Amino acid sequence: MSGEGAVTSARRQLPLHLFTAAVIALWAALAAFLPAYVLPGPAEVARGLVRFLLAPPMLLHLALSLGHVAAALFFSFLLGSGLALLAHYAPACRLMVHGRIGPFLNAFSGVGWTFVAILWFGLSDATVIFAIAVLLVPFAIVNIGAGLDGLDRELVEMGRSFGRRRGAEFRRIVLPALYPYVFATLRTGFGVAWKVALTAELFGGNAGLGYLVNIARQDYNTPLILVVILLMMAIVYLVDRQLLAPLQARLGRHYGAA
Amino acid sequence: MARPRALAGRALERLFADGLVLAILAAWWFAARGLPSFVLPSPMDVGLALLRLFAARDFLIHTAASTVRVVASVLIAAALALVLAAGAEHSAALSAIIERRLLPVLNSFPAIGWAILVAIWLPPGDLGVVLVQVLILLPFCLVNLGEGWRALDREAIEMGRSFTRSRGRLFLKVLLPLLCPYLIAAIRISYGIAWKVALVSELFGADRGLGYLMLRAEVSSDSATVFATCLAIVLIFIAGEKLVIDRLARLVPNP
Repeated sequence: MSGEGAVTSARRQLPLHLFTAAVIALWAALAAFLPAYVLPGPAEVARGLVRFLLAPPMLLHLALSLGHVAAALFFSFLLGSGLALLAHYAPACRLMVHGRIGPFLNAFSGVGWTFVAILWFGLSDATVIFAIAVLLVPFAIVNIGAGLDGLDRELVEMGRSFGRRRGAEFRRIVLPALYPYVFATLRTGFGVAWKVALTAELFGGNAGLGYLVNIARQDYNTPLILVVILLMMAIVYLVDRQLLAPLQARLGRHYGAA
Repeated sequence: MARPRALAGRALERLFADGLVLAILAAWWFAARGLPSFVLPSPMDVGLALLRLFAARDFLIHTAASTVRVVASVLIAAALALVLAAGAEHSAALSAIIERRLLPVLNSFPAIGWAILVAIWLPPGDLGVVLVQVLILLPFCLVNLGEGWRALDREAIEMGRSFTRSRGRLFLKVLLPLLCPYLIAAIRISYGIAWKVALVSELFGADRGLGYLMLRAEVSSDSATVFATCLAIVLIFIAGEKLVIDRLARLVPNP
């Protein structure tokens, strides 16, 4: 029974592996005719990846990018959820948050923020963190806002009948109901932040993966550009699938996915 | 009893919302007075620069170039996704390749990565910029149109088949109208994203466009133009959504 299942799943996997192999073969064939600064071959990029992972200065840039992303996630979450809470508890501010601040931040271009931030903070960590954070704020407003809108009113009502302290009500009822949304905010934010980080560091940073890409671009070091892109995609994929998705599933089971 | 109160509440909401916009403008004007214009240009300077983007000839070229590219990219990405999603409906292998290979890679590939690579591969010009935007928009269109194909009404297709044998007519008269709501959704989402990445895609491989203009303004510390470019994009984006996409959506009956 299980052997049969394995055979069908292997048969289903076959086109996928063939496709991957065909893409790599095509890449290698093209690279054989083109100079390395136009298109380095798969083997050269793989070697570059290994060299990158064995070089401490390169790993430092990676760690700095991670730091930028983490700091931006933290600040954007603080600001975005603060605004969503304001709109929820002070209905007079609803249109201000969801009709003005959110849409404006959402429509403003990420590169625009980077360039504005360079004028204000120069080439620095602050520029990079600001540019990423300001782009993530609308995600937090929308996600946490949806969580607050979906609160079970009867549950809150019941909580209120047990105790009058607003603080206890928030801690015991509202906050646990928001956990799945908090997590969704951080998870989407993490994916978006990495992509934006590259742009922000490229123009406004003095360290990090984006800074490396900028140097590589000026040196026509295309292999390094591809290495950084592949590395970034691998990190986003691994962290999302191996860390965030299982955590979210566990939180969902615990607090009831909304 | 409740209605006047609700009205008063709504008026208060408006007051807060528009008050904030005015307060920010006032604070901006006040802050800009004490700062050099390359750090913070005054609202008037930015307004003038914004006006120039829509009125002065040498600036209008850039605004128009970006707009045409965005529209072209959205249409190309939607059409390409339509074809791929149709193929996936007929072949399990293609469907698996799209779901498990194409989508994850395209979704996680950074926009700036495409912009740099395409600038290396192609000569500067419209083709490269549109290619970058299509590559970024494709996954969003694929997800929406794949959803549309899965939700198709099989019986309506059966019925259509009993009336005609021509595949082209079946597609035009039955499939396309059924897919329209998903197509509109794909276009709406892509249009928003396209404007956001328009600047990125024009930074390296373009000889005109708002991204090119912005990079030039940044290098010469012309902050008023940097601000104005960003605001122009917000304005064009909102105008396109309200004037074109909302109207298109109203033409299409919801399923």
